[in-house]
Amino acid sequence: MNQQIIKLSGAEEQLKALLLAQGKDEAATQFAANGLPTRRIEAYHYTDLKTLLRDVPSALAQANDGNKAARSEFAGTARVEIVNGELAGDFDLEGVSVATSANAASGDDSVVLISEALVGDTVEIKVSGELDQVLHIDRIIDGDAAINADKVTVEVADGCKVTLLETFNGSDAAHLGLATTEISLGEGAQVVHLQLDGNSNETRHFANNRYSLAADSLLRTFVQHTETPLSRTVVTADFNGGGAHADFAGLNLLAGKQHADITLNVNHLVPNTTSTEMFKNVVHDGAKAVFQGKIVVAKDAQKTDAQMMSQGLILSERGEVLVKPELEIFADDVICAHGATCGELDENSLFYLMSRGIPRKEAKAMLIRAFLAEMFEPIEVEAVVKQLEARVDSWLDDREEA
Amino acid sequence: MVAVQETIDHVKEIDVDKYKYGFKTDIEMDMAPKGLNEDIVRFISAKKEEPEWMLEWRLDAFRRWQQMEEPKWARVDYPEIDFQDLYYYAAPKSTPGPKSLDEVDPELLETYKKLGIPLQEQAVLAGVEGAKIAIDAVFDSVSVVTTFREELAKHGVIFCSISEALKEYPDLVKKYLGSVVPATDNFYATLNSAVFSDGSFVYIPKGVRCPMELSTYFRINEEKTGQFERTLIIAEEGSYVSYLEGCTAPMRDENQLHAAVVELVALDDAEIKYSTVQNWYPGDKDGKGGIYNFVTKRGDCRGKNSKISWTQVETGSAITWKYPSCILRGDNSVGEFYSIAISNGHQQVDSGTKMIHLGKNTSSRIISKGISAGVSQNTYRGQVSAHAKATGARNFTQCDSLLIGDKCGAHTVPYIESKNSSAVFEHEATTSKISDDQMFYCQQRGLNEEEAVALIVNGFVRDVLQHLPMEFMAESQKLIGISLEGSVG
Repeated sequence: MNQQIIKLSGAEEQLKALLLAQGKDEAATQFAANGLPTRRIEAYHYTDLKTLLRDVPSALAQANDGNKAARSEFAGTARVEIVNGELAGDFDLEGVSVATSANAASGDDSVVLISEALVGDTVEIKVSGELDQVLHIDRIIDGDAAINADKVTVEVADGCKVTLLETFNGSDAAHLGLATTEISLGEGAQVVHLQLDGNSNETRHFANNRYSLAADSLLRTFVQHTETPLSRTVVTADFNGGGAHADFAGLNLLAGKQHADITLNVNHLVPNTTSTEMFKNVVHDGAKAVFQGKIVVAKDAQKTDAQMMSQGLILSERGEVLVKPELEIFADDVICAHGATCGELDENSLFYLMSRGIPRKEAKAMLIRAFLAEMFEPIEVEAVVKQLEARVDSWLDDREEA
Repeated sequence: MVAVQETIDHVKEIDVDKYKYGFKTDIEMDMAPKGLNEDIVRFISAKKEEPEWMLEWRLDAFRRWQQMEEPKWARVDYPEIDFQDLYYYAAPKSTPGPKSLDEVDPELLETYKKLGIPLQEQAVLAGVEGAKIAIDAVFDSVSVVTTFREELAKHGVIFCSISEALKEYPDLVKKYLGSVVPATDNFYATLNSAVFSDGSFVYIPKGVRCPMELSTYFRINEEKTGQFERTLIIAEEGSYVSYLEGCTAPMRDENQLHAAVVELVALDDAEIKYSTVQNWYPGDKDGKGGIYNFVTKRGDCRGKNSKISWTQVETGSAITWKYPSCILRGDNSVGEFYSIAISNGHQQVDSGTKMIHLGKNTSSRIISKGISAGVSQNTYRGQVSAHAKATGARNFTQCDSLLIGDKCGAHTVPYIESKNSSAVFEHEATTSKISDDQMFYCQQRGLNEEEAVALIVNGFVRDVLQHLPMEFMAESQKLIGISLEGSVG
């Protein structure tokens, strides 16, 4: 492919200009050579950004007192606030240190490339104790429509334990959010990482979550897309030490013209690691939900056990669920499986409920809640479960039909 | 248990580099010069005495092909093919138009005998009393002899080579050729459209249940000849046909290219069952040589209540790139895909299916069993999609992989696309090795390691084997044994 013949779209020109304005000449050249990913790139098979991202804001986010995002509050949590990519306020909690440093990372993938290039400072969190309190990282975009790139790295020391709750909040404007999160787990570390999408319903949200797991570490993750018109979270996990285990979960709960994509890459690189993956898609109206999950078992990663499940629920005529669960296996002594289902609500179950006097709408809501309950159960943070359930309730109330 | 014993015997007696069908028949060949250009396309068309429109069709495809790029997305790895370094036409020279088997070159018949093709009636498998198989044998590129033609003709069934069909039934061919796999469908299908030399043509008239299983044996023989067959099967309203295709090729040093196109058309209430046993030369134990098998197979369930069923046993070829698909256009149509893909040595398999649900209440079923051994790579790549109007679409997919040895790879890449709320899709995939428990259980009961593996593997593929016609089942079981040779211990 000749790099010169790509004609950049308006949005691509805008992004290139922004990179140049930030003094990221190298990234600008690299970006201009490839442009935004199209469906020809396998990882973007169902999320063609050349067509989905036709316009982007022209400047980086800047604080503006007139247009502030709501802050999420969760009782009993220790809060780290990051506004427009910068650490806001002081933080003092035993066993946790927070600092910033200049980001120098880059990437081949165009979205990763822009995300990394536009990050000013990385917020570095180091956990060196066993935290009882949930650590809440609130990532906020204030001000008028803008591009915001922020990055958080969390290093959890050997044998330490933490629950990380991340929220994304944006002011009421059409932002482009580019979030990077890197979490490394030391030997025997235990981490729960919950990521809630609370952006405005105009913000386009892209997240890259990367995990590295040392021996005997334990990880549980959850991502959710419900709010924004276009969102994509790429979860990448590398198992680098034997005895590590991870549970990955995610939910796309969509309506209207929303498009959400969760792409998962689980790399079992060493022997004796295990994982489970559970992802659900619920679509209404003309929404489109994408789940791509790939489990890679490297050549020497014997005794790997990976179980992936993806379930789709289509509630309207025009809704779409597009799923690609992949297995890539180079070792023989492994147990890997994936399952995928897709369909509408079961008429028999509806009939059962209705025959007992429950109105159709309520019966449907009941079944949808039941479908989602399985997702929320392992999230042990009560405040988060309550908020998710409340979100589902309001989502169901908004769906007006019998 | 007899079959299992047979498998073991084969495993013992045959080596990877002692390919059973690796012999060469020396018959004078009528060949076109090496390379590919418009003149070669014209040469092939002239040799076949084709009508003008066919030549135009070929030339159009050739011109489009020149603009196309070779696809690179499959998980297969091979050196660049020099398309100018191949012969595109090779036909055995023989007396014009053999009328009966007596007139056929005895050396050819000897070849078939070695292949074990039941060409004559007495060769019809013992114990299957009364069963008859009609064979259209393709020796390199030209159909040499067609048996049972008369009996088929009594029922109105047309079974002949595609070049003959072009002469005798041009309207039928013109109507359906390229209607399922368009001339410009993909790189290899387009190449095939330009240079296809022969293949089979089957036409089952309305309401006829084809009285026997139809069968074709393909064989690539002359050095450096690409084999490009074209198969077209049309099942008219309410008809039924079962078609068997078996492939073996002699041993060769250089890689040979095989790019076939198979088109199936099932009209209202018609059913087509297409079975393949593919056992082309997989290359030697160092991965040298072997066939490149880049095939486009597609069935179109065009009519209501139609059904197309693909069954394949893939054990040969250095590289397999093959996705027999069903377009479920007619309401209530059914598509099936049963596959066993075995890779050993340096083989690479990237195979699967596509089930495209377009009509209402269509259903499909995919059972795929992949077995990888040696240093091979075995990929299942499939797509199931329901379009917005495919109300009531139903799919069940099961793809299981079995790994033998720690140097091979097994991969699963399914695309599941549902654009209709009433579509119900289920997909499950597993990958594992033969468990120690299973081995222990078998060995504890007195089977040795090889016997135990053969038993377990035969059990693993049983779901698919039982969908093969009787004649193929025995052969397939032997093939599985041969293919897994040397994978134990």
